[in-house]
Amino acid sequence: MEPLVKLRGIVKRFPGVVANDRVDFKLRRGEVHALLGENGAGKTTLMNILYGLYQPNEGEIYVKGRKVRLRSPRDAIDLGIGMVHQNFRLIEPHTVLENIILGLREPGIRIDFERHAERIRLLAEKYGWRIDPWMRVWQLSAGEKQQVELLKILYRGADILILDEPTSVLTPHETRMLFKALRRMAGEGKGVIFITHKLGEVMEISDRVTVMRRGRVVVTKSTKETSPEELAYYMVGRSATLDFGGVEFAPGEVVAEVIDLEALSDKGVPALRKVSLAVRSGEILGIAGVSGNGQVELAEVIVGLRKATGGKVIISGIDATNKSTREIIELGVAYIPPESVRWGIIPEMRVVDNLFLKAYRYPPYSSKLILNWGRMFEKAEELVKEYEIVTPSVHAKARSLSGGNLQRLVLARELSGLIGEGIPKLIVAAYPTKGLDVRATNFVHKTLLRYRRLGAGILFISEDLDEIMMLSDRIAVMFEGRITGLLERGKADKEKLGLLMSETAPS
Amino acid sequence: MPTKIETRLGTIRIERRLTYSRLASAATTLTAFLLSLLVVAVILRVIGLDPARAFAVIGEVFLVPRLLSESVKQSIPICLSALGLAIAFKMNYWNIGAEGQIYMGMIAATGVVLLHAYYNLFHESMLLPLMTIASFILGGAWCLITGILKAKLNVNEILTTLMLNYVAILLVDYLVHGPWRDPKGYGFPLSIEFPDQAKLQFLFGSPACTGLLVAVVAAALVFCVLDYTRLGFEIKVVGQSLRVARYAGMNVSKIILLGSFLSGGLAGVGGLSIVSGIIGRLRPGASPGYGYTAIIVASLAGLNPWLVVAASIFFGGLLTAGGALQASMNIPRAATQMIQAIIFLFILVGEFLKRYRIVFERGGRT
Repeated sequence: MEPLVKLRGIVKRFPGVVANDRVDFKLRRGEVHALLGENGAGKTTLMNILYGLYQPNEGEIYVKGRKVRLRSPRDAIDLGIGMVHQNFRLIEPHTVLENIILGLREPGIRIDFERHAERIRLLAEKYGWRIDPWMRVWQLSAGEKQQVELLKILYRGADILILDEPTSVLTPHETRMLFKALRRMAGEGKGVIFITHKLGEVMEISDRVTVMRRGRVVVTKSTKETSPEELAYYMVGRSATLDFGGVEFAPGEVVAEVIDLEALSDKGVPALRKVSLAVRSGEILGIAGVSGNGQVELAEVIVGLRKATGGKVIISGIDATNKSTREIIELGVAYIPPESVRWGIIPEMRVVDNLFLKAYRYPPYSSKLILNWGRMFEKAEELVKEYEIVTPSVHAKARSLSGGNLQRLVLARELSGLIGEGIPKLIVAAYPTKGLDVRATNFVHKTLLRYRRLGAGILFISEDLDEIMMLSDRIAVMFEGRITGLLERGKADKEKLGLLMSETAPS
Repeated sequence: MPTKIETRLGTIRIERRLTYSRLASAATTLTAFLLSLLVVAVILRVIGLDPARAFAVIGEVFLVPRLLSESVKQSIPICLSALGLAIAFKMNYWNIGAEGQIYMGMIAATGVVLLHAYYNLFHESMLLPLMTIASFILGGAWCLITGILKAKLNVNEILTTLMLNYVAILLVDYLVHGPWRDPKGYGFPLSIEFPDQAKLQFLFGSPACTGLLVAVVAAALVFCVLDYTRLGFEIKVVGQSLRVARYAGMNVSKIILLGSFLSGGLAGVGGLSIVSGIIGRLRPGASPGYGYTAIIVASLAGLNPWLVVAASIFFGGLLTAGGALQASMNIPRAATQMIQAIIFLFILVGEFLKRYRIVFERGGRT
């Protein structure tokens, strides 16, 4: 049978890099095809070519047996190709219905909203979704927004569906629903391309898998004939194992404690409802939960970036509730912010500036008034070596660094003890590995474990359960601003955590 | 900004350039300048004037010592204000109020002179130092008002700085029509003439040389503040991202207050350079928009203090050339302003092309 999509010898060059190097790829009717690879392996570039966002430098594209040229997404949509991007492209204040019919080309001036709404409702039901077409998009959960994105594509009659890391915003339950719907779509003869870097998902949902590494296709296999270990090997080109060095869990005294903490979200609604936790020196306290359940607010209140409306924060025995960020930094608190590439880095400033974003004001790097650039450059050179930051020089602008290297830069700044003496007492790490490839993730994990060994207390926020369970000595689960459970290492399994993540535990 | 325009014939895209060499940059500016002269020549021809003669007059401005000295004099208030704006713009603080801060600086300088002339409160050797301090403080305070509103109430500084311009200009009008009017001035709205010790001409007795010295010293100070002090570093971080500045533990309010004060203060000293370097007294409309020209100068110089000095002299020359053209060729004032505007515009387009590239793709939508 003719494949739905055939890509042959695709080459895409960007200044300085070859993002896709003679890539061949086939999508059959009725299959879910996983596209697996580290960040920067070229998966998204390849799919952007298929969606008409990029033009390849070389190679041919066949859709349903016909050779085509895709100049824009418009061309791709006309050929029945649809793509759900990682960050949704929806107009939040508009209704579901308006978002779906936006850009539909049909004759006439009047739009029959009722008829469209009915058809959308039926389409949604077919895949087991309950979506009210008249709801405003901002009222929907992340999972529902994704359903709207899919409906938008399906409503245009697409039969080639591209999903870019679709589970990164979903709860385990929503992920299961998505997988069910995708199976159903494949059953109707559509082709689904599923971009991911999570091995577990590949095994669970896909029929075939294509692994990419550094712009090339390493292998295409039937999922049944492979294993996660084998796929991991293809992905990174070596067996990726983490050595945790068998460190005994021997926590020391409490370095930070929050008691009945309450705070508001940016929208002014309660985000923390009487949260109480204690982090001890030499332990990693994992905070699990679907993002948006108060984790970031918790981190921000602790580091002084958000006002507590009730309760207390105690750091090293000192009441630090609503102290300024600077005072809390001086208490020895390091903070790796969520999306640190956006919120912890200034791309237009140099690497050295970014390394000294906090320490610039303390001796020996400055006196009361004047900066000591000599000392800063010297130290920056050392840090670049120690943290293996790949940069042309410390003078280079941060924007020229890759995501993994920027995260190394943030770690160097926060953890290397530039301020005060020795290592930080408390490390608040919010989603420190999100969006990083395997190698950079390993580096972050190893670094956190090193500081645990050195006696720092670590508050580790993540939504990746594997990661949380691997690193944490204890795991607290957050749901709707509350701690719904606190489990010791070894007593937590995914089922239990999943349950705590999605509903309030009986108190 | 639209980055992509689709037409029947093809697609026009605007892409950000990643790199641009210094040589190419200089060549672009020069080309833009020459092209602007070409357009000016055509226009002059159309209105029946001889372009060659007009260019000769413009050229003289930078060659004849008397005119060059006039150009430099005109450039000093522009330069000082633009240096202040460079600080504000680095902080991403859109101070459009240099004009008003200039006027407040003039009031402060004149006030000190009047204290001396009417009450003889201090020795005349103290005149210039006191005038400098007073004009810096009053100009700075004028901008600080907007800084406080921004830091405490998050009021948009573009509006407040702009509106305070009118207040300051009218305040000068009131003073010279009323309490500060020269009693022996036949009722003209002018202050008394400044004594020589209050004039900015201590270097070789030349206002141009003295002004240039002041401008270069100010540029050096601004350069040092921005690149070698904690405050300068903080100003740059605040300008790039408020959120990252807060994350780094910086006191954003304090930085905005200090930055806006420095910015207004420099413009205030610019005001001093007008009353004691150019006019020698206070009168209504003493600044013909130097504070606005400074906005263009600061942007054109890419907020680099040294380039601000160079760009100011160039603009001071254009202002002087405008006067010379009116006098020698009887060109209407509007035409000289148009010539200036055309040159600005071409250079600005050149600056844009240094940062972005325009790509044409053949083949329209199918």
